[in-house]
Amino acid sequence: MSTREKRGRLKDDRPVLMQGTLDVLILRTLLFGAEHGQGIARAIQQTSEGEFLVEHGALYPALQRLEAQKLVSAKWGTSANNRRARYYTLTRHGRDHLTRQSSRWRRLAAAMARVLGPEPERG
Amino acid sequence: MDWRRRSDEDFAAEVDSHIQLEAERLIEDGMPPDAARAAAARAFGSATRARERFHERSRWVWIEQAVQDVRYAWRTLRANPAFLTTTVLTLATGLSLLTVAFSVFNAYVLRPFAVADPGRLYRLAWSAPSAVGRTFPPRACDELRARTDLFDAVLTHDFRFALSNGRTVVVSTVSGNYFSTLRPRLLAGRPLDAADAGQKVAVIRQQAATRLFGGDRAALGRALELEAGPVTIVGVVRDEFGGIDDFPRDLWVPEDPAAARPMQAVARLRAGVSPVEAALRLQEFAARMAPPDTPSRDVRAVLVPNGTPNPLSIELVAMLSPVFAAFTLVLLAACINVSNVMLARALTRQREIAVRLSLGASRARIVRQLLTEGLLVAVLAGAAALALAVWLLRAALVVLFGTLPPFVASLLRIVPMPLDARVFLFAFAAALAATLVFALMPALQASRQPLTGALRGQRAGQPSTSRARNALVVAQVAVSIVLVVTALVLARNFASLTRLDLGFSTANVYSINVRGDDNRFVRPIADLLAADPRVASVAVTSGNPLFVTHAVPMRADGSSALSPTMYTFVSPEFLSILRIPVTRGRTFSAAEARLAARVAIVSESTARAFWPGRDPIGETIAIERPAPPRQNEGIDGYARVTVVGVVPDKVSGLMVEGADRSHVYLPVSAADVHVQALLVQPRASSDFRPELLRESFRRLGFDPELLEVISLDEMRMTQTYPLRAASWVGLLLGGIALALSVSGLYGVLVYTLAQRRREIGIRMALGAPAAAVVRLLMRQSARMTAVGIAIGLGISFALLKMLDSVIELRAVSVLDPGAFAAAVLVVLLASFVAAYYPSRRATRVDPAETLRAEA
Repeated sequence: MSTREKRGRLKDDRPVLMQGTLDVLILRTLLFGAEHGQGIARAIQQTSEGEFLVEHGALYPALQRLEAQKLVSAKWGTSANNRRARYYTLTRHGRDHLTRQSSRWRRLAAAMARVLGPEPERG
Repeated sequence: MDWRRRSDEDFAAEVDSHIQLEAERLIEDGMPPDAARAAAARAFGSATRARERFHERSRWVWIEQAVQDVRYAWRTLRANPAFLTTTVLTLATGLSLLTVAFSVFNAYVLRPFAVADPGRLYRLAWSAPSAVGRTFPPRACDELRARTDLFDAVLTHDFRFALSNGRTVVVSTVSGNYFSTLRPRLLAGRPLDAADAGQKVAVIRQQAATRLFGGDRAALGRALELEAGPVTIVGVVRDEFGGIDDFPRDLWVPEDPAAARPMQAVARLRAGVSPVEAALRLQEFAARMAPPDTPSRDVRAVLVPNGTPNPLSIELVAMLSPVFAAFTLVLLAACINVSNVMLARALTRQREIAVRLSLGASRARIVRQLLTEGLLVAVLAGAAALALAVWLLRAALVVLFGTLPPFVASLLRIVPMPLDARVFLFAFAAALAATLVFALMPALQASRQPLTGALRGQRAGQPSTSRARNALVVAQVAVSIVLVVTALVLARNFASLTRLDLGFSTANVYSINVRGDDNRFVRPIADLLAADPRVASVAVTSGNPLFVTHAVPMRADGSSALSPTMYTFVSPEFLSILRIPVTRGRTFSAAEARLAARVAIVSESTARAFWPGRDPIGETIAIERPAPPRQNEGIDGYARVTVVGVVPDKVSGLMVEGADRSHVYLPVSAADVHVQALLVQPRASSDFRPELLRESFRRLGFDPELLEVISLDEMRMTQTYPLRAASWVGLLLGGIALALSVSGLYGVLVYTLAQRRREIGIRMALGAPAAAVVRLLMRQSARMTAVGIAIGLGISFALLKMLDSVIELRAVSVLDPGAFAAAVLVVLLASFVAAYYPSRRATRVDPAETLRAEA
């Protein structure tokens, strides 16, 4: 059932997130300070202009993985409007990881852009 | 990683907080509250799925699932006790046999002695191209003890058989530091120490104490009568300690400084000194130990690991691997059987598996579930196998001691064979490996099935499953052919060896060997025996037949073709006692024996080789290399001998090597330096017993322990015993494999019958005679058996061909066509038996009933 559901949504034109992409996006978001899951989801959606992150729920396996790898640490806290939320913070290890990954992604993106050339004019 | 697991509730709270935060955000953006909450939930996706994924990703879920699997497997197995019992017992049979084999290997090779720090014990020896030395005279032992730069301690010990009131005692004479170096655990009393040197005291092993004194602690303080005089028992060691050799001792006595006998030396290496380094630094010492004419650079000091009864080596493993292969094959046959039963069961469980698959269980999970069932069976079988192995080992020892020739049985001691951690680990590993063999294939098969048909209750007779089952039966037949062929080769060789014509008569002849190198006793013993009214005839010789042989290069005088030739010094009575006829010429005269005349009697093979087509009488033999390693075995002074007679060929050494390829007999009398042994023929009506002989020796003031009296008949039995025992083990393994393949074949046929019941019913309704139906099943059975036999014969032939090229024993034929033919016959017969009952049942299929059931 679940697979079929996923496939249905993928008719959507938005790009499929590659493994590891979401991790970098999360880490990047946390660079500006501790944030809870909903805040991270919002931030990713806003900065990527709605291109990424179809479901907020999809964020959590990635958060769990990052936590297990000790790239982020988590603590329950209180949000601005006085609601309990679990806050994620970038660890030092996570910061180093992000630096490495960002430069990798930039090189990859630049290389892809060079190969693909400028966007063709339509029509 | 934190060791506390984050709870599912904590994660659920996070999800809730996320959705609420999102909803509040949307309300802030101006959405009405109801719509905002719905949109927030939508944006999150399925919260349930998120929670499930969280749960499954947690570290402990596999344990949870494993527990589930085990509980489920246990319930399923309990529901079918017949299946459980047969599979567990089948596997346990195979596992226990392999475990027994491993226990023996463990006891003799892997298991360290029950002493302090066995890993650094090394036996000292030297080796040169012409000779090796394993014992050292007292002064050399002292010199070794002084090498504190290499060794922490050097202990010396030796080994001999003694008699105590007619019962054999294995005695070790030990140095004063033996017990303080090895520190075995004592049950009672005290160990021996340096102050005991020369004293009449002894330490006894628990089981010997029980045997000789009727109780282990009861032995303490008692006197044990040895032929050399009584010793007082001062200590009792536990059975776990039997010395530091592969032959356990009964009794340890302190060395007598006055006796000054050569001893074996065992050293504990100093920490930081490697055996290689120690060997290098002992080279100069070793060179002095070797015979004087050996160039010192050819002599090496050797340090043999002495922490276990036998050092583990590649050669040893290579030698034993065929034995282990045979035992593993039986386990394999058992696995195939269980695998077959599991395949059949998986088919009847198709519906259950289909339901679980359609409810969303992944294929991996189903395979894991079925493997868990297999593992559970294997673990139960492993436990049963360990219990069975203990019993089998005990039974094997009883059989061994019951069937060995009495003389050997009285001397033989077996190292303790406890089921230690290594055996447990081995049995567990074997059970685990067996699970993969027998459970993986059925599990993969079962999980790969079309759902729809199975759910509707159709038992799709999947062709791939039938093929798999047939292949398994074929493999089983092949395995049993290999084992049956091996068993029959062994059994037939044993039979032919017992029938082997030795070329002399062993009836009513006793061999007396003098232990050690000292042959001063031969003459007085010969005189004593000659005067004994119970004795008909006595002969002296340099070596009794079936015991030892000596050979040096010889040639026919005038020829240059040297060939290694066996020689034996014999007194004239030798030939008459053994009923060896002189076919040409004459026997030795008494004068020739007394004077050690340079004459010879040759065997027919030597006569043929040296003077083909000519009369050898009066010819001369030239004997080369008059420099023997040991003085007593020498043949120096015998450069030329003249042939006076010819005798038929006989077997002198090992029976498996067959009749001598050459033999030269030289005359000798009891006073000669070359004699080492005697042959005695008692009068037919006398009450001659070896024990009486020993009594006489003692009265003359000799130590009877130096003599080894055994009848030639018993020696003959002793020589054939290994092959006899091997053929028993082979027949046991072959028989079990055969029984397994019969039951495997039977199972497949019964299953085929059940599957094709409908077809058979229709055929019979259409008028097919019962014979045709029987033929149908018989044909299936015959096809599988034939393929299995063909494969098995191919494998056996290849294996035995390989063995044949290695073995050079003339009285043994490895590629025995008779054994191959008999094995094929036996397996065919067995397959017929397996097919008979299912075929009979097939003819009783009631066509009317089957057709009704169809409607």
